[in-house]
Amino acid sequence: MNSFIMKVVRSVSAITLTLSVAFVIAPSGAVAQQNSDTIKIGGTLSLTGPLAPTAAMHKIAGEVYVKQLNEGDGLHGRKVEWILLDDQSKPELARTLYERLITKDKVDFISSPYSANIALAVMPVAERYGKALITSTFSMPKLSRYARHFTAWSVGPTPEVSIPTLVLDTLAGAGKIPKTMAIVTGKTPAADFIAAGAREVAKQRGVDVNLYLEYEFGTRDFGPIAARVRQADPDLLFVGALGLEGNMLLEALEKLNYAPRNHFYLYPSPGPLAASKLGANALATALFEDLPPMNQSKAASDFISAYRSAAAQANLPYQEADTQPAAMYSTLQTLTAAVRETKSLDDSKIADWLKVNSVETLIGKLRFDGPGNFGADLTKIKQVQNGKWVVVAPKGFATPGATVIAK
Amino acid sequence: MVKNLTLAGMPRMARTRASYIFGVGLFAALAVFGSLPFFQPPAFVESFLYLIFFWIALATSWTILSGFSGYVSFGHGTFYGIGIYSVARLSEHMPLTAAILLAGILSAVVAIVIGAIVFRIQHLRGELFALLTLASTFILSTIVLNTPIDGGPGVSLLVSVPSLFGSQMSTLYLMGMSVALLSVAVAYSVQYSSLGRGLFAVADDESVAEAQGIPTFAYKLAAFAISAFLAGVAGGIHALFISYVTVGETFSITVPLYVLLMSVLGGTRHWAGPCIGATLIASATYLFVSGDYALVTKIAIGATLVVATLVMPGGIMGVVSRFRRINVDQTTAVAGEGKPISQPPGVGPAGASPESVLLKCEGISLAFSGLRALSQVSFEVRENEILGLVGPNGSGKSTLINVISGFYRPDEGHVFLEGRDVAYIGGHRVARAGIARTYQIPRPFARLSVRENVELAAMFGAAASNPQRAADEADYWLAFVGLADRADALPSEINLHQRKFLELARALATQPRLIMLDEVLAGLTPPEVSKAIDMVRRIRDTGTSIIFVEHNMRAVMELSDRLIVINQGKKIADGPPRQVMNQDDVVSAYLGVPHVAA
Repeated sequence: MNSFIMKVVRSVSAITLTLSVAFVIAPSGAVAQQNSDTIKIGGTLSLTGPLAPTAAMHKIAGEVYVKQLNEGDGLHGRKVEWILLDDQSKPELARTLYERLITKDKVDFISSPYSANIALAVMPVAERYGKALITSTFSMPKLSRYARHFTAWSVGPTPEVSIPTLVLDTLAGAGKIPKTMAIVTGKTPAADFIAAGAREVAKQRGVDVNLYLEYEFGTRDFGPIAARVRQADPDLLFVGALGLEGNMLLEALEKLNYAPRNHFYLYPSPGPLAASKLGANALATALFEDLPPMNQSKAASDFISAYRSAAAQANLPYQEADTQPAAMYSTLQTLTAAVRETKSLDDSKIADWLKVNSVETLIGKLRFDGPGNFGADLTKIKQVQNGKWVVVAPKGFATPGATVIAK
Repeated sequence: MVKNLTLAGMPRMARTRASYIFGVGLFAALAVFGSLPFFQPPAFVESFLYLIFFWIALATSWTILSGFSGYVSFGHGTFYGIGIYSVARLSEHMPLTAAILLAGILSAVVAIVIGAIVFRIQHLRGELFALLTLASTFILSTIVLNTPIDGGPGVSLLVSVPSLFGSQMSTLYLMGMSVALLSVAVAYSVQYSSLGRGLFAVADDESVAEAQGIPTFAYKLAAFAISAFLAGVAGGIHALFISYVTVGETFSITVPLYVLLMSVLGGTRHWAGPCIGATLIASATYLFVSGDYALVTKIAIGATLVVATLVMPGGIMGVVSRFRRINVDQTTAVAGEGKPISQPPGVGPAGASPESVLLKCEGISLAFSGLRALSQVSFEVRENEILGLVGPNGSGKSTLINVISGFYRPDEGHVFLEGRDVAYIGGHRVARAGIARTYQIPRPFARLSVRENVELAAMFGAAASNPQRAADEADYWLAFVGLADRADALPSEINLHQRKFLELARALATQPRLIMLDEVLAGLTPPEVSKAIDMVRRIRDTGTSIIFVEHNMRAVMELSDRLIVINQGKKIADGPPRQVMNQDDVVSAYLGVPHVAA
């Protein structure tokens, strides 16, 4: 038994078991301060890895909400503790961490991770333990198969139809019904199906889709795509863009001395697109903006001031209290509303209540009564005007005095 | 007394025992980890251990090709990805086990196709191979993204994982554990098999490995297929674990970089290396997940890994091996050159007639980019003959040796060994047919000990021995050349004279019919030359024919039965040494044409 091999086997076994034990007993940030009187909400966010820039907004929004909650009477008179772990932008790790939060940290509720991919990995865990999962940015209703999954990303049960319809309606409202439309989309789960839906909607409304192009996620050189767009010269450029892709496409178009007449971006980075002179009149989806009428409620103004302050303290490059942080904030509003109304910590009661009730949140009145628990469609269309975003549709959410600029 | 070590650097008698202990250890691990679900631990424990097992499987499978053979692949994500998407798409149409197995098989088939192309191209090593494998990942991800395999929206797995011990997580955990232990067992088996030994030789010097009789192409292909199969199976199981797969995440650079890091930390030349590296890195990554200090923690882990890699370039197992080697050196008594040696089976004076032809070269020609290196060279080597091969620098002697040994294929001509044309059969087959060679500048396998170098030659050479017999033969030939007391040293720890003799021992261990000694005396002192001349005679006494390439004319004249002279790629003389050296054209070739002033 003195052999080298045996030593190695023993060492590896010891290391593995030690680390497993360490994992079991390791404190997880706030858990070290936990109190049995508190109500624990546990979740992960992608605090490191490629999703970290956006997840950082969600973290601040969540912290703002929990702080505000505890400054009031908490939940059922008990303080709320948010146990937040870093899933490192890895779905497999998120899954494991939710198992840990539920079975080891014994959280009362789980909070939303950031991104649909990670939410999908977490869903089986939530289902196994019957936990209600209220996600912040889940935009694909067809993939929502867990009966207790709800989302604050309230785009309705068929966003592939409703979003392009709203875009075309918005332009039609300004009397500019596009005759031609170019669709350019990244091949990512969130954008791909919306672009495909836009093609169908265009066909039904008699709009000629004279270009349909797909590009791979991570594309940086938009020159060839820009050349095709310029050649097509559409009345509307519909871009299934995430993040900075829209800016990159516009820069490529500028090099060809071309500016689209009307242009729409699905989920752009709001700051850079508004700041760019090329982004003038760009349209995009929104769920919440720091603009009237959405910022008029006390809850909204409290959130906005607290979020801006915390974001500045955290040195976030983009500190606007808009869709992303509002979505996270709204998940917690939804959860606490259900807890209060049911006077219960039972996930099944909370889920049952959510299915038949609506909840007032920053984003609007959320309902979960449709397929996949997707209910109300609260999508708004915003536009860059004079270097700033204004909401232009639908009418009930439009920024006072703002009308869509269409060519 | 000399401690008898094998290629693994382990006492030979302990080798069998170690295999037995490994088997017991593996069984124990299977029993311990396999019984865990029976006790119904919290699911996150199984989930956490699953992630460790997953990375062990991936890192270990990567090491079987890249660690052992030195062909660093950045394309492991390709095979992992094939596994992911195979199960994602096939699991609805067939039993899960079949889908997972098929995932592994598909990955292996793709690896064989890629390997069959790239391994044939000699210069596709190092960064070129790494980039090419990385490109294969990009190509595959593009195919998956732009076809119904995915098409863009990702694939959600609808299949239900069966619940063992009442939990799906237990099932996934057991699957992950199984593929991890399978990978470790395979890596262990490969390391101590002739395949593993051949791969280690490939990593150190592929050309020499081929000349030693190692079928390098087949071995690399086999390692690639095994590696890909295991990665495919691990990927298939992981698809079930994450339940929703996308191209962006599946084919990201994360997988190849992580497995590389894990293997390098643990040690790439040992089966346990990736296992240790994966356990440490995955644990460090997954243990410290506090939301409060996420970035700082990741930076600290990264910095620790950088320092660890700098301090331990051979990884943790590299440090362990070095420690073991020091211990062996301290406990090994010196055995002298005069130690009586017993003759290994099959070695002895030849019974063949000295007049019979062993090797016949007919009309060998070879040109490099239009420059003719050899032109219609024909000659014979008889049984038990020492044939001197001389010529000025650049005359084509080494090229001729490279042709005979199968390293170069001639443009025309034939090399008959006992009537069989071996000119076009490849280096390792030539070696196995009974032709061995040494190099002008010794080219030992740098990371194998002196004994391991010779053992490897014995195992793959003409005699193609089993490991035990190869070890015996290594002992014999090391004693024959006087290196028994340096058997456990690394080649870098012995002097030039000893390295030359190591070349000899290695060539002899293949039990060749013909051995080609390429300037084996160069750089030796006069006493060492005398000793070497004596050794060449002793080699001939074993019944081996010799082609003796040398500039030292004293040795050539003393040793050669016959002499041929090459100049500018052409044979210009062939006959008894003294007669040949007096030929005018030979004198001209060496001294130039006399010009007498009028």
